Amino acid sequence: MKVVTGVVGNDIHVVANRLIDLSLKARGYEVFNLGVNTYLEEFFDACVETGADILLISSLNGEAEGWSREIKTLKSRYKGLDDLIMMIGGNLTVGTGDPHTIVPKYQRYGFDLVCHQIDLNTGLDMLQDFIAKRGHSKYKESA
Amino acid sequence: MSLLQEERKIILGNEYVETFDFAEVENFVKNANKELFISYHYAKRAKMLVQPRGGFPTYKKQFALNEFFVNANVDVLPLTIDSNTRLNDYGTAAKMLRLSEENDVDMLNGYPLVNHGYRTTRKMVTHFNKPVSLRHGTPDARLLIEQAIASGIFDIEGGPVTYVLPYSKNFPLDKAFLYWKYVERVCASYSKLNEPINRESFGPLTATLVPPSITIVIQLLEMLLSLEEGVKSFSVSFAQQGSVMQDIVTGHVLKKLAKQYAEKINCADARINLVYHQWMGAFPTNQKYAEQLISLATVVASIVGADKIITKTKQEAAGIPTKEANAETVANTQYLLRILNGLPSIHDEQEEEMLILQVNAIMEAVFNDPADTLWRKVFNSIKNGTIDVPFSPHIINHNELITVRDSRKNIRIIKRGNVPIPNKCFEYEKSQCDLNKDTTSIVDDIIHDIGIMQ
Amino acid sequence: MNPNKLLIDVGSTYFKLCANNNLEQHFRNFNKSIFNDLNDKCRQTIQQFAPENVYICSSANGGLSALIIGLTKSFSVKYATNIALNSGINIIDTILYQDIEKASVPSDLIDVVIIVGGIDSKNNVFGDPLYKYLSQINYSNVVYVGNVPDASQVKSHIPNLTVLPNIIDDRLHIIEEVLRTYLTNLYQQDIEGKEDIKELYQITKNQIFSTPYIVNRTLPLIDANFSVVNPFVLLDIGGATTDIHYSKDLVVDNLVTENEFDRLVFKKLGVYKSRESLVFVARKNEFVGELLMHLNVTENIFDEHSEKATRILMQLAIFLVLYKMSHYRPSYINLKLLAINSVVLTGGITKVLKQEEAEDIISFFYKKILTSAHRPVAILDTEYAIWTLGSGIRLEDHSQTRHEGEA
Repeated sequence: MKVVTGVVGNDIHVVANRLIDLSLKARGYEVFNLGVNTYLEEFFDACVETGADILLISSLNGEAEGWSREIKTLKSRYKGLDDLIMMIGGNLTVGTGDPHTIVPKYQRYGFDLVCHQIDLNTGLDMLQDFIAKRGHSKYKESA
Repeated sequence: MSLLQEERKIILGNEYVETFDFAEVENFVKNANKELFISYHYAKRAKMLVQPRGGFPTYKKQFALNEFFVNANVDVLPLTIDSNTRLNDYGTAAKMLRLSEENDVDMLNGYPLVNHGYRTTRKMVTHFNKPVSLRHGTPDARLLIEQAIASGIFDIEGGPVTYVLPYSKNFPLDKAFLYWKYVERVCASYSKLNEPINRESFGPLTATLVPPSITIVIQLLEMLLSLEEGVKSFSVSFAQQGSVMQDIVTGHVLKKLAKQYAEKINCADARINLVYHQWMGAFPTNQKYAEQLISLATVVASIVGADKIITKTKQEAAGIPTKEANAETVANTQYLLRILNGLPSIHDEQEEEMLILQVNAIMEAVFNDPADTLWRKVFNSIKNGTIDVPFSPHIINHNELITVRDSRKNIRIIKRGNVPIPNKCFEYEKSQCDLNKDTTSIVDDIIHDIGIMQ
Repeated sequence: MNPNKLLIDVGSTYFKLCANNNLEQHFRNFNKSIFNDLNDKCRQTIQQFAPENVYICSSANGGLSALIIGLTKSFSVKYATNIALNSGINIIDTILYQDIEKASVPSDLIDVVIIVGGIDSKNNVFGDPLYKYLSQINYSNVVYVGNVPDASQVKSHIPNLTVLPNIIDDRLHIIEEVLRTYLTNLYQQDIEGKEDIKELYQITKNQIFSTPYIVNRTLPLIDANFSVVNPFVLLDIGGATTDIHYSKDLVVDNLVTENEFDRLVFKKLGVYKSRESLVFVARKNEFVGELLMHLNVTENIFDEHSEKATRILMQLAIFLVLYKMSHYRPSYINLKLLAINSVVLTGGITKVLKQEEAEDIISFFYKKILTSAHRPVAILDTEYAIWTLGSGIRLEDHSQTRHEGEA
């Protein structure tokens, strides 16, 4: 399956971005990594050009609240992204935050999977479960 | 007037800069006290020079920091430049400086040299009469370096590759090469007047599992790009990597090859120095452990035979250190250096041989690039993945080279991408690692390998 | 400059010839074909040179036009646009394929339609909406540089389609070379309405390139002849269009290309053929009143047709181009105007304006629009050195020797 990933935010998080990239590849996904400082529109555009099944956005500086509200409006301008699995991971607020409020909030913003301060492997396991349950019609055997 | 001189006039005509008196600056450099020149101290080779890091926005605070350092017996004073200046945003730097001065709070993470100007800064530099090293991370450092040299700062760190690939996502690398050529020429020009201006490459790069061959290749190339313009004193550098033996091997090979490659371009008269950075990765939060890590780095620097050591502080994990903590490391390091006597000379012939083979193979591939200037060969090599820096955020970087640590914490290449290390070396690297694990475990290993000092 | 070469530039308003370091310039006679006009005015000069030694470039008729149909703004459309602009093409329009059914139909003849989208592992991108749209428009050439799986299907529906490799690779990076070569070769192809240009192959054996392409390729080398300081912009204010070439560190984009400079063209800003549209744009500009006052003229100047009026229009053109690249007009590109160190001016404007006049307008712009004391230096390419340098070099040689300046 194809994954578009990247970080909304600045350079020092390039390590996390690269680790996500490597982990996804290790699990057999085809990865299109847009790197750090990526804008929302670039993410969606990349999904269109690559035919990605999954969009995994990292936000590590606690500022995701600021741009997440735009997701639904922006996504609605695209005609082919309805089946796109949307996942967000990282530090979604400044400080620890309460998962009971954070997860539903980001789900309302349009994310299928919300991983606030969850370890990378656990998060990717969640993704795999989600895909299996969804019985995605585009699912292919891992490379 | 030469083209370079015309360009200099325009660069120095910037609206944020006070009038630049070329003749006066030349005169100043010509008559400057030898003590201000790090190249002079390097040439004496009396001891390993100790240099901390640090920069505050206001003149007052920077002065106070320097006082602390001098009282702690520092050999080289740092001047770390703020991030706005690094991005040539002198307007914001000016605003933040004013706010910092008015409210006695630090609105900048370094010293805005361009806004302070060279006349002011020179007062501080000449007052302390110690060599000052310029630390920054600036792709276009033309104006900054002019101000620095005019201030009496005669150690200039950075380069087109080492100051772009680790920090920037998309600054056009070819432009960076041009801008750093300007810097080299200006430094070379001033070097004719007195002791040479020293240039220092930034070896740590991303400081995240960078294999020694990549570090050394980039050091050598930035050195050559500098020497070919007439720079006469150059420091190659690298950061503590996590394995004592690997550091020793890296140090030996870097020194040896730097000399060889300098000779190849008829620059044997340039003095090449070796600089060692204390651990540049994630630091332990426990400050006592942090102190141990720092001491270890100092010991390794001594065995490696570094000419200068750049220190960290025990507060590294917490953020910007206090001047007290900073000065404390300087004092501790000086003490440790004083008592480190009778160090044995240690070699690992096989590791050195393998590393030399790797470096020479990559250098040869770079030189074989069809471009007719060295900088464009390097640019093309980065673009086609011949040179690949792990964890660089830059869009031009290939990101196909993968490294892990072996059981003795040496950094090993397990996927080489387009980097042309000889098969024999590649097999050797892989043979040192346990690659029978599944790939998810290898990724877990990488995560641990990055944080080995925590 | 090689004394055995004859360089000819065919502009929208006049020809330039450079032979043995001698520059000639002649206004064009639009009642004749370019070939006949050239022969009438410059036969003696031309006859001295064998066709192998004659190099011609052209921006006649305002250059070639293109329509780009792509999938997304950040990738397919952006990449095709960048390649086309740097090849000297002027963009008419870009269409997002998902909106093609609602897209307007241009009535003018389009020189080339570029279809792009999808990486090679994606398929089923294009279909009937594309073919339907194409059947409604007039175009001379059509090229496909999209995903490979769709190529044969698209080809079977579009007659005379040229299929080239994808300009987007598997890492979503741009691959410029093949499309750029195709586009720069377009002058040599059977272009309806450009018969004029093809006739010129009677006097030259060398490929005819578009002038903006030549200029763009020359830019990395000009610091050998001019004291130009990077980052700089080059303004080529012509009769029909104004081109701006800018150093890539003046923008923030994620394109790794061979080009150190990118190009943008403004079709409405030309001082002869496009004079009316230039005046129109100027009148609309909210700063025009203050600008005219600064230049010591009134709005009546727009109705004049004197040398003075032309000079004023040229100064206006400089102001308007910079304005279009500023944050006031969020356009295709916004430049980091405060980082510009030099503004190079080339084209007819250099024979009319003085350096001080150009710098005056530029610093007025910075003061008024950016409230900044920044003053880039203006450099006038009065001897058309850029064009001669560009035309003289071998264009297929990418590793052109740079003249490293003396310390």
